[in-house]
Amino acid sequence: MGNMLNDNAALKADPMPKGKPARKRKWDHEGRWGLLMASPYLLHFIIFVAGPLAASLYFSFSDYDMLNPPEWSGLDNFRRMAGDSMFWRSLWNTLYFAVLFVPLQTFLALVLAVALNQRLKGLKWFRMAHFIPVISSWTVILYVADAVFNPRFGLANTLLAKLGLAGQGWLQDPKLAIPLLVFIAVWKGIGYIMVIYLAGLQSVPGDLYEAAEIDGAGALRKFRYITVPLISPTTFLVVIMSTISTFQAFEQIYVLTGRGDISSAGGPNNSSLVMMLYLYREGFTFMRMGYASAIAWVLFMILFLLTLVQLRAQKKWVHYD
Amino acid sequence: MRKKLLGKSFGYVLIGISSLIMIVPFLSALMNSLKTYKEYTTVPPRWIPEVFQWSNYADVFKLGNIGGYTLNSIFVALLSVIGALISCSMVGFAFARLRFPLKSALFVLVLGTMMIPAVVIIIPHFIIFNKLNMLDTLTPLWIIEWLAQPFGIFLMRQAFMNIPKEYEEAAKMEGCNPFQIYMRIFIPMARPTLATLAIFTFMGKWNEILTPVIYLTSNEKYTLPIGILSLSGQWTGNEQLMIAAALVSLVPILLVFLFAEKYFVQNHNMAGIK
Repeated sequence: MGNMLNDNAALKADPMPKGKPARKRKWDHEGRWGLLMASPYLLHFIIFVAGPLAASLYFSFSDYDMLNPPEWSGLDNFRRMAGDSMFWRSLWNTLYFAVLFVPLQTFLALVLAVALNQRLKGLKWFRMAHFIPVISSWTVILYVADAVFNPRFGLANTLLAKLGLAGQGWLQDPKLAIPLLVFIAVWKGIGYIMVIYLAGLQSVPGDLYEAAEIDGAGALRKFRYITVPLISPTTFLVVIMSTISTFQAFEQIYVLTGRGDISSAGGPNNSSLVMMLYLYREGFTFMRMGYASAIAWVLFMILFLLTLVQLRAQKKWVHYD
Repeated sequence: MRKKLLGKSFGYVLIGISSLIMIVPFLSALMNSLKTYKEYTTVPPRWIPEVFQWSNYADVFKLGNIGGYTLNSIFVALLSVIGALISCSMVGFAFARLRFPLKSALFVLVLGTMMIPAVVIIIPHFIIFNKLNMLDTLTPLWIIEWLAQPFGIFLMRQAFMNIPKEYEEAAKMEGCNPFQIYMRIFIPMARPTLATLAIFTFMGKWNEILTPVIYLTSNEKYTLPIGILSLSGQWTGNEQLMIAAALVSLVPILLVFLFAEKYFVQNHNMAGIK
């Protein structure tokens, strides 16, 4: 205490700010150490980000089969894309997948998080149950999903038969393929989103709910008028993140529909062919690296525009304190 | 009060049903892995096998090259974890604690690269590793982790920024250079975050499918997820063993998860704040 008073007296006498003397001791070569320690990322950026971005942009305007050097072809790749029905199909399938997946997973994860957030007993176990699919590889999920949706010996058709209903072809049915892939993806990912929401819900003040209860608001109204607006920053983050990853979905569809065989992935009859699968096929199976790069850039642009739209729209529905 | 109870019991029902939906498919797969092939293909199916074929789990290792796939997976995952821990903590420390030229511009780049979808750079990466003669080797699967991924940098930087200044001031007085301070003070104090980073890198690499599919062509180089898939084409009549193999491949992650659940959840908290 006495020391502090002395310090204050010294400060008044000397206009130099308090922390200065310590900070004034210059660290030898701090800037050089900083650059040196940050250099792994510098290398990363130059070799694996900046170079590749420039290269793939160039490839997208070229003909490139990896055997011969890339040959400038102007807008040919994009012209070809415009008339390529398979490309449009993959774009449509990707949109269909995302439009079903993102809202469904976000909404269900929020509902589960709100239910879990009322200090239920056994929270740890419930959370764990929802996390097991999250930590599984898609290969594990293939056999787990197959136990349920195998048309011949799966659980789902057995149950349908017990109820006297006709069995379904599930993933082998072109109409059901994408909705079922969405269902499985929601099932696998929901625990992850739920935990993000659980963290976000910690910051929603409890007294708001108490006030609403005094005014006679029921659970649904509290959810709609308190939880949903107050959690909207988390929702915004979740929607952006899952949109970006959904547009690049590859592993799940490659594994669940192709079982490790790229030529049958995206089936049946290309009904689940998404953009990433099409890109892979064009680039790595047919070695049309130029065309595949062009597809990648179109995908990137779509994502960029979608993110911009979401950033614009957030002003209308995201509430920051 | 009554309303609260009602809400809670509704919560239990909802979460209970949802937990069943999560777990029952795994139990069904487990049951399938304990059947004979004949029993597995019987219509209508039996949910619980008549006799539990525990020997299936021993037979897994007679399937193709499962032992080799496992070693490849362990190799890739371990090298990735070591690389990520070293590089991300070093870069994270520089961003959190040191002043150097272009620092803020570089940090914007780190955040920016997190936003760039991987699709646009996959093909050039493939071409780079082709030029380096590294196709069909395990190197492309782990080497990038040694060059600090943005997510890990961000995670480590947050952790280091929360360490009080007093610690480093004292060490500075004693004449430690930045690297010594990083090694002696910051690394030991950031152990929980390092654990989180290690777990997430391990899980990501262990489960990864896209990169192995792109880079690996010969079967003996395969990692577990794509190795098991490759068997289903060659070994018909052994589906129950492949299911067992897939479930075995889940065990390491499951063990990590059971013993270190808090690190999984901690990271998601950060994702939520970000």
